[in-house]
Amino acid sequence: MLANFLIGLREGLEAALVVSILVAYLVKSGRRELLPRIWAGVALAVAVALVFGATLTFGPRGLTFEAQEAIGGTLSLVAVAFVTWMIFWMSAAARGLGTELRGQIDRAAEGGRWSLVVVAMLAVGREGLETALFLWAATQAGTRDTAGSVTPTWEPLLGALLGIVVAVALGYLIYRGAIRLNLTVFFTWTGAFLIVVAGGVLAYGIHDLQEAGILPGLHDLAFDVSEVIPPSSWYGTLLKGVFNFSPATTKLEALAWVLYVVPVGVLFLLRNRIVRPTPQPQEH
Amino acid sequence: MRKTLLASVAALAVVPALAACTENASSGGDDEGGDARALSVTSNADTCELSSTEAPAGTLSFDVTNSGSDVTEFYLLGSDGLRIVGEVENIGPNLTKKLTVNAPEGEYFTACKPGMVGEGIRAAFTVTHAEDAQEVSASDQELIDQAQDNYRAYVQDQSAQLLAKTRDFTELYKAGNADDQARALYPVAREHWERIETVAESFGDLDPKTDAREADVDVAAGEEWTGWHRIEKDLWPQDAKGYAALTPAERTSYADDLLANTEELDQRIQATGEDALEYSITDIANGSIGLLEEVANGKITGEEEAWSHTDLWDFQANVDGARVAYEGVQGLLETKDAALAEELTSTFAALQAVLDQYRDGDGFVLYTALTKDDTKKMTDAVNALSEPLSKLTAAVTS
Repeated sequence: MLANFLIGLREGLEAALVVSILVAYLVKSGRRELLPRIWAGVALAVAVALVFGATLTFGPRGLTFEAQEAIGGTLSLVAVAFVTWMIFWMSAAARGLGTELRGQIDRAAEGGRWSLVVVAMLAVGREGLETALFLWAATQAGTRDTAGSVTPTWEPLLGALLGIVVAVALGYLIYRGAIRLNLTVFFTWTGAFLIVVAGGVLAYGIHDLQEAGILPGLHDLAFDVSEVIPPSSWYGTLLKGVFNFSPATTKLEALAWVLYVVPVGVLFLLRNRIVRPTPQPQEH
Repeated sequence: MRKTLLASVAALAVVPALAACTENASSGGDDEGGDARALSVTSNADTCELSSTEAPAGTLSFDVTNSGSDVTEFYLLGSDGLRIVGEVENIGPNLTKKLTVNAPEGEYFTACKPGMVGEGIRAAFTVTHAEDAQEVSASDQELIDQAQDNYRAYVQDQSAQLLAKTRDFTELYKAGNADDQARALYPVAREHWERIETVAESFGDLDPKTDAREADVDVAAGEEWTGWHRIEKDLWPQDAKGYAALTPAERTSYADDLLANTEELDQRIQATGEDALEYSITDIANGSIGLLEEVANGKITGEEEAWSHTDLWDFQANVDGARVAYEGVQGLLETKDAALAEELTSTFAALQAVLDQYRDGDGFVLYTALTKDDTKKMTDAVNALSEPLSKLTAAVTS
């Protein structure tokens, strides 16, 4: 039960984080009318993932392992590009807000309206395929006759769904917290936080491509702390869900993380002219 | 413009998906070929059970069921144990997920990874030749690469097992009160050494420390006798005249030394990157010849295991190693000299048949139980094989 719950929680968190910050931003900047776009992106991603998952599970054709990893990896890289764009778009719009230049924000939001759909869709869809495959497998387990080597049960499905529910609830709490922050603090913290999150997504995408054999160095580890942070523990799950932290990180992943987080972070802080410390996970 | 962006993102996701679609293996029971390619795997905390350890080449499907309480993963790895041919991750307790892969003929490893950490529970997996498989064009170069990969995987696997069993053996021996168990494990652990003896011997610094026989050590010149056979004599002292048993401290020192040298050996064999061992086709073919020479020189004469008399275990292991090395280049040999390949295959089988007559339970009879006729029969079978085998290197490298 716990193991399936944690899988749902991890996959759910990865999506809920970006979506909650996106929503918080629109609400804070008085762009509530754009919210449907976000939900449209989320709904689209969920629907596509479920249909894909069902087709691949029950249909006559499956996806090769390389293709699954290549798609996951490529989508991760695209998601990083979009989230990065979003961070700077938000901070540009925030400057507009600060100087009360409403027209400027409108133009910014206008320019970003479709991009909002794409960001929401990528945030949810990136892990969506894998989650959908998991959920369909779980429904199969629940309905399977006793020919299987384990007793059929709905328990895995229930566990995974509970995990997703908790992830959404956590996303909502983050949203509530973000709403209460003043604007400057909001942009600094969410922006810096998203950079670290995006760095994790990038590293994860690199790992997928390494597993697919497209990039080399899968077994060249920078560090391995699997003993201390087991990936199936609750804290391992949270670190993975929030920061995409992998206990066994390859050198290429670590390099990509540093090469992304450091320049983007510096650029972000310079643009926001902020001197306060930013949240950095100790683990990396 | 935004629409273009959206479309390109969508295309990015869909194109590789379509290009890389693969047949889901048939799960219906009416097609026999489909059945052999549909395997099931049960994974829990300590086991990784496959419905079969081999399958015909083609599109294989593995239904991986997690019967444990932690999340698990399943991998199909290439013969190097590193390259991922396919994997399924995030298999929660009580779930079954399917892995579908296209696997050409060859040697593989399967691994379940409960808790998603570590090397996983590994086992060898063979994909056999199949007439109805998708044509996998295998040029000479591919056959050579495959032979080298397979041989490296075999040597690495044997070395890892040697290390694990040496660790157990030295523990038992050091304990002082488990000599019977140590004596039982001795020939079994050494099998892994004997199977890769030509590779192990190539390390001139380690071989004399681990595998030297008493007769080969020049004590007068200040050489020290250590390793397997030193411990062997202490465990089987009955044939030694006036032998003084080793003290617990001496036991510990010899055991630790053997284990340290075996660890060093394993480290060199498992090395990757620049330090990785290279096995050329010549090396592999010569290795096969060399292992059979070991049989003729040491095992058939009963010199190797002078105290334990477990020479036939070594004999079998040498033959195993020679046969595996030969089988690695067999595909290549068949394209160059099919008649020689046929002769070798049948003489290997004949030698094995002779050896099989001396099996006793899981092991073999002791060398001391053999008559002159028995050793004559073995010598004849070895000679019958060594003559065609001596042509192997020239034939595969021509």
